[in-house]
Parts: sequence; C-alpha cells; structure tokens
Amino acid sequence: MRDKKLFAIGFGITLFLLLSIYVINGFMNNQREQAVLDKMDAILEEYQEMQTISLMSGIFGEHMACFGLQSRLIQMDKTLWDAGTRIDKYRTITEEFMRDPFYIEQKRKFNRNEVMYYSLLKEMKQRCKVNQTTILFFYKKAESCPTCDSQSFVLTDINNALSDEVSIFSFDTDLGLPSIDILLSYYNVTEYPCMVIEGQNYCGLFNKNQLLKVLCKKQNLTACTS
Amino acid sequence: MNPIYAALVYLVWFLSTYFVVVFLLFLIRYRKNLFVSPLQIPGEDLPTVSIVISAFNEEEHIGKCLSSVRNVSYPQDKLEIVVVNDGSTDGTARAVSPFLKDKRIRFINNKENKGKATCLNEGIRAAQGTFIACMDADSMVSRDILKKSIPHFQNPKVGAVTVTVKAKHRGSFLERVIEIEYILGLSLFLKLFSYLHCVYVTPGPFSIYRASLLKEINGFDEKSITEDLEIAYRINKAGSTIAACMGTSVTTVIPHTFQGLYRQRRRWYSGALLTIWKHRTMFFTRKAGFFGIFIPFTYTLITLGLALFVVSIFMLASRLWKNISYFALTNFNFFEHFHWRELLDPLAISAFTILGVSGLLGTLAVLTSGLSATKAGFRKRKTSFIGYFLLFFLYQFFWLSSFASVLFRRKIKW
Repeated sequence: MRDKKLFAIGFGITLFLLLSIYVINGFMNNQREQAVLDKMDAILEEYQEMQTISLMSGIFGEHMACFGLQSRLIQMDKTLWDAGTRIDKYRTITEEFMRDPFYIEQKRKFNRNEVMYYSLLKEMKQRCKVNQTTILFFYKKAESCPTCDSQSFVLTDINNALSDEVSIFSFDTDLGLPSIDILLSYYNVTEYPCMVIEGQNYCGLFNKNQLLKVLCKKQNLTACTS
Repeated sequence: MNPIYAALVYLVWFLSTYFVVVFLLFLIRYRKNLFVSPLQIPGEDLPTVSIVISAFNEEEHIGKCLSSVRNVSYPQDKLEIVVVNDGSTDGTARAVSPFLKDKRIRFINNKENKGKATCLNEGIRAAQGTFIACMDADSMVSRDILKKSIPHFQNPKVGAVTVTVKAKHRGSFLERVIEIEYILGLSLFLKLFSYLHCVYVTPGPFSIYRASLLKEINGFDEKSITEDLEIAYRINKAGSTIAACMGTSVTTVIPHTFQGLYRQRRRWYSGALLTIWKHRTMFFTRKAGFFGIFIPFTYTLITLGLALFVVSIFMLASRLWKNISYFALTNFNFFEHFHWRELLDPLAISAFTILGVSGLLGTLAVLTSGLSATKAGFRKRKTSFIGYFLLFFLYQFFWLSSFASVLFRRKIKW
C-alpha cells in the first residue's frame, strides 16, 4: 500500500516538473517576444530619427542632413539586422514557425520596416551621394526554394564581414506584402533566390566568392583589396 | 518541428522522468534496509546446498572459482559442488582435477559442447541439495555468500535469491564505466525491484534457487541465449518471488574491450527481446502482478527512447550535412558565425533544452544517489561518470543491433 502511494507521489512530482517546464517556457516565450518587440521599437525609433533628419534637410540645407545621415546609417543597419536575427531566433527556439501568429505579425512588420528604410536610404543616397552598397534579397520558404536558406547563410557571412560597407535587406515574398510585391515587379524578380545589387538582378545561388566578385565590381570594398 | 517528434520527446521525457523519480523515492524509502538480511539460521538448521558450475574453456578462471567456493563458510556436510565441463577445448578439465580430492566436488566431464543451460540442467539433475546455486566459472564468491543468502528462503514465497555482482577488472576506463553499471543494475536496481516483486533476472555469475522450484519449472530453457533472464520470468509466472541480497557478493569477469562489450550486450538485449516475446501472454494479467506491468513499461520506454534516439540522430546528421553545405559556400569560415554572446543568451534556451538538461540531471541524480546508497562511493568515480554518459549512446547502437538481430532472426552465439 505504501509502495503504491510512492508511485502516485512519483506521478505527481513528474507532472509537477512537466508543468513547471511548461510555465518556465511560457515565461521565456514572453521574454523572447518582448525582446523582438524591443528591437522593432528600436527600428521605428531609428527610422523616425532618419525621417527627422530628412525633414531637417528642407529647413537647414542638405549638407547638414547628409552629415547626420552618415552617422545614423550604420546604426540603423545594425538595428535592422539585429531585429531580423532576433525574429529568426524566436522562430528557431519556439519551433512553431508559420503557425505562430506572433512570428507572422512581427515578420510582416519587420519586412515593411525594411521597405521603408530601403526607400529612405535610396532617396538619401541620391541626395547625399552616400557610398553604401545595397543588396535586396528576395526569398521564399524552403519547400518552394531549396537554395534560399543557403543564400541567406552566405549573406549572413557577408554581413558579418562587411556590415559597415554593405546594407542587406531580406524580403520574405511569401508574406504577400503589397510593398514587397511592388519591389518584385519593379525589379522584375521572377525566380528565387534572387538578389538585386545596386539595381541589377542576380538570381540563383551565389557562394561567398562569387558574391564578393559581384560586389567588388560595384564598389571598392575592403574585402576587394585584401 | 514535426508534431510527432515533439510528442515523442515529451512522452519519453515523461516516462523516463517518472522512472527516475520513482527510483529516487524508493531509494529514500528503503535506503536503510538495503543491506539488512533476514535473521541468520543456526548451523545445525542450515539446509543442504549444491553449487552447480558450468564451465566452457575456463582454464584461466576455474581454479580461482573453485577455491572461492571451497572457502565458503558453510557446514562441510551440507555443501556439494557440481562442476560440469561443457566440452572445453582448453585445459579446463586439467585445472579442475586437483580439486577433485575434495569429496564435496563432483565433476561431470562432457566431451561435447552442449551449451550453458544444458550443462546447468545436467548439474541440477545431479545435485542433491535443497537449494541449488548456479554460478559462472569465471566468478568468485564471498565467504559469507550462503550464510547471507539462504535465510531469505525462510519466506516460502521466495523461489530464488540474487546477490550483488561485483566487477573484476584491471582498472581500464571502459571497465570502470561498466563497473558503475554493474553496481547499479545488478545490485541496487534488483534490490529495489525485489520490493515490488519484479526482479527480472537471476544473474548468471551467482544466483541460488529452491531445488523444488527448479524441478517444477524444468530448470533452465536450453534454447534461450539468456537463460538467467528467461528463468526469472518463469519463476514469477510460477507465483514465486525473487529476493535480492545486497549483503554479500560474487565477483565476475567483465568485458574489457568494446568488441567484448558489444558481443555481451547484443546477447543480453537480443535474449531479453526474445524472452519478452516468448512470455508476452503473461503481461497485464492479474497472476503476473506488478511484474506483468513493470516489464512492458520498461521495454516500452526503451523502445520509445530508441525511436527518439534514431530520429534525433537522423535529424542531427541532416542538420550537420546542411551546415557543412552552408559552410562550403563561405569557404568554411566558421569564425564569422560563432559568437560567444549568442551561446550565453538565456533567451536561446528552448523547452527542449530544459527537457534535455533535466533528463541529464535526473540521470546524474540516479548515479550519485545510487552509488552513495550502495556504499560504492561516487567521488572516486567522477571520471567514470562521463564515460557512463558516452556508453549510454553506445548502448543505443547495441539495442538497434539487437532489434535487427531478433527481427532478421540472426543467430547469436554465446
């Protein structure tokens, strides 16, 4: 009888442990969501700062605006990349991927912010003659684009090595955002993965060396001389 | 993540954690009784005992084995020793001959190799004791082995008694790791299982049986490759229980190479699977009692764990392959992708990581508390712990090989 009781206690303890893990994981998920939201707020803040600088150019002259832009550009790039990484990490850890409404919502917001930032950057580049190479990376989910993940990995490597000289914008075309659809038709992207580097399309998988060769043709990067 | 895989992870975690928690609860409950033996029987009331030893090519060990048996503290006139040669091709018979001066020792010198179970049965038929101990020729017994184990039979329900199996080794890393397993698996676990009447094996190195019971169940199954495991099922089936005596021990030779370990485990595991299949009708029956629930539970856990292991290995290998193909695109530039900061990020801890770590902690709790309870000491065995975890992975491959052997009906030799 006492032994039977031990089995019941054991079952209770095991159940308690499982529930504890469930609760801890729920708490961690909240923290992960908060971390993503914080990064999204940081993007908006950076974006508003750049918008302000852009607005100031009309009042104080372009020279002053371009001076401010140079200092914000690298920071904005970093914030955007961090947010993207944080969302991807969230996806990997929660392992819920496409079914998670939070992930989808943040991914949509992030992509929209990327389009906004890219548009602003494009405008400022023309006005201020900023020498920043931009790569637009269009991808789909792995089922319909087996090499998209590989290309994404190569671009991560490029970003880690050349983050100060290259701005990379990754667009998830499965999200069905109208702004991304406009970019797709503007750049005439029909196959995936596809990169638009300084207005020119490079579709298919490019390894690091091939991509560096393309980038070096466009601009004199530090990696091109070393 | 595949929902079936996720369900498998949670199921295996829950069942294994339940096993660990119940183990620890039983350990706490019976900790003080582990080494307690029933009251000793006065010399004149001690029953007659026969020790049957089956030997195949044991020239190296049989002498030490017989010396230890002769030195057992038991009335001379109540002990007989029956040695059965299983058609050895070495000098086993020669090694036995000096001991034949001792009138208590009888020698059945078979010229033909018949198998261990057949030889044991031959010895059992020749034995005249009220209790019959069967032992391996490569094992040595403690002097008090009979005085400590025989009193357990005062309980008429007890049909067999097991003793602590100690590992005789030369101190290699592999041997020290296997030793931990013997201490826990063939000593403490059996003791705790005995409280639940579900001892599933009467270890071959030394176990003692009620002679009348052996007669009733027709001795060992001569077709089984794990006769010491198979007989335990039939003892339970016959309504008898198996007691475990931790107060005395037998020391046996253990594998000292990976190849030897693989051969031993493949035989053990394949034998276990065949035995379960043979006795499948006894599970979940009222007659089999808790034994009939415990065995299917344990083997379900093993099978599910193995399935999880196989799927995880497959997933790990495909992820590894994917990563290699990724890195090939970036000239294998590992450093650009490796950041200490990310490793230390607490938000990177997933539910599965917590499940995995808690599983490891549970295993560690079983190891430390188990070794501490058996007085084997866990502090001096710290390095062997690491090996124990590594061996755990190796055992999954042994189990896979055993499943394959059983499914494809491959012949397994002793």
